[in-house]
Amino acid sequence: MIEVQDIRAGYGDGPDILGGISMHAHAREIVTILGPNGCGKSTLLKTVAGFVTPRAGTVRIDGQHAEAVPIHEKVRHHGVGYVPQTDNVFRTMSVAENLLMGARDLDRQTREERLDAVMAQYPSLANKRRRKASALSGGERQILSLARALMAGPRILLLDEPSAGLSPAMMHDVFDAIARIRDEQDMCILMVEQNAFEGLSISDRAYVLNLGKVALTAQAQALLNDPAMERLYLGGAPAE
Amino acid sequence: MSEFLIHVAAVSCLYGILALALNLQMGFSGLVNFGLIALFGCGTYGAAFAHLWGWPPLAGLALGLIFAALMGLFFARLGARMSEDYWGIATLSLAEIMRLVFTNEQALAGGAQGVSGLPVSFAGLAGQGAGLSRLALYAALLAAAFVLCQRITRSGFGMALKMMREEPQLARALGYDLGRMRAIVMVISSLMAAVAGFLYAHYLSFVGPEQLMSHETFLIWSMVIIGGIANNWGVVAGAFLMQFALAYVPFVKDWLDMPSDFVAATRLVIVGGGILAFLIWRPKGLFPERIGGSHG
Repeated sequence: MIEVQDIRAGYGDGPDILGGISMHAHAREIVTILGPNGCGKSTLLKTVAGFVTPRAGTVRIDGQHAEAVPIHEKVRHHGVGYVPQTDNVFRTMSVAENLLMGARDLDRQTREERLDAVMAQYPSLANKRRRKASALSGGERQILSLARALMAGPRILLLDEPSAGLSPAMMHDVFDAIARIRDEQDMCILMVEQNAFEGLSISDRAYVLNLGKVALTAQAQALLNDPAMERLYLGGAPAE
Repeated sequence: MSEFLIHVAAVSCLYGILALALNLQMGFSGLVNFGLIALFGCGTYGAAFAHLWGWPPLAGLALGLIFAALMGLFFARLGARMSEDYWGIATLSLAEIMRLVFTNEQALAGGAQGVSGLPVSFAGLAGQGAGLSRLALYAALLAAAFVLCQRITRSGFGMALKMMREEPQLARALGYDLGRMRAIVMVISSLMAAVAGFLYAHYLSFVGPEQLMSHETFLIWSMVIIGGIANNWGVVAGAFLMQFALAYVPFVKDWLDMPSDFVAATRLVIVGGGILAFLIWRPKGLFPERIGGSHG
């Protein structure tokens, strides 16, 4: 579904943050992008999403060139849903309003049906549907932003550090929700994650970035068991 | 009802339309426009050109609306290329450029002398009939502008505007085309401002570049800030409050036996001081924005 080929990208006149990255992700798959701070994880996700236009290389979605397509067009025409890391809810709107704003082009009846379905799927949101989003906990906001992305019926979900700032219990709930989305909706999920162990535990494959390039790619389970991976990227004990 | 009160109420209605236009831009959409007076000027100069060219007044209205729509679109296009704060400065600059051009180009609508002798609406009515008829017309148009703004801001599009104001990147991530939304809001509010300008020109029977001074923009800002940002009722109340406050300054001058300069200076103090005081002590204005509640 997503094919990235030799992408180079950066901000303004600055140097390349991504120095020629290639990767792919398919339906019914969670692909996690890992790596140390500043390695280009979020830039890669923003380039795939359309917030950043690549300086070179291609981004294809379902075989179609999409490297120059802005995010709002990708959401409308390529079935992409994007969940940012922070500022991911409209704080002055209620939970229900936040969800309905995710179903922009649907007719009223379909929107209400989707709203009911999402509320049934996430009872924690249903109990607080009239409450302002600003009153939700960090985990509830993350679930709300995930659920809102689902309202438009995307086929591809791009998640930028869904566990950022969450307690371990909340993190578990959020990752559980992400895994269920993949399993129940045949979704292609591309996720940037700092918390490598938790991220890999629900992922199928992963790319490890370093200095804007792919340093390692493997099945998630293999990476979890790789001592070099643990030492370099997962915060394990340094080698003797 | 005295002539004076009719006059102040009539002008308040026109400023109420301007305050609603600014509220649509700044209050609901987060578009910090310091050049609103230029859009008002499209209406006044539309009337002026029609008068100079011997066209009927309604042709002047059409001309003003076309100018305003084009300028609103131009403002919106600029907004796509620069950040919010720079856009605000750019709109102020454009309004000043417009004023300076009309001040210095004698061939263009009389330069600094302006254009006088525009036909006054309902001029044929005797006594207070003309004033009351104008007041009724302006009040009806203010009510129409109010209903339009209420319908826009309570619709799904209005919710999307608030999203654009609060979290523009997130709105884009949900598939909203902010460029298109910005253009729609700018055109609608520019048309409203131009209607107010056209009526104002035919009310005073005069159009001149001093009507485009930047302090007029800040007067409209004070109405929005004091009335309540993103509250349509509030900004209309702010328009009436400010207009009546300014209208009574000459009486205070006479009462205190102050020189003539006192009036202009005091009006500036009321506008500037009002903005400052409300931003410090009551930033949400007299009637704060109503948040949430449209969906269950």
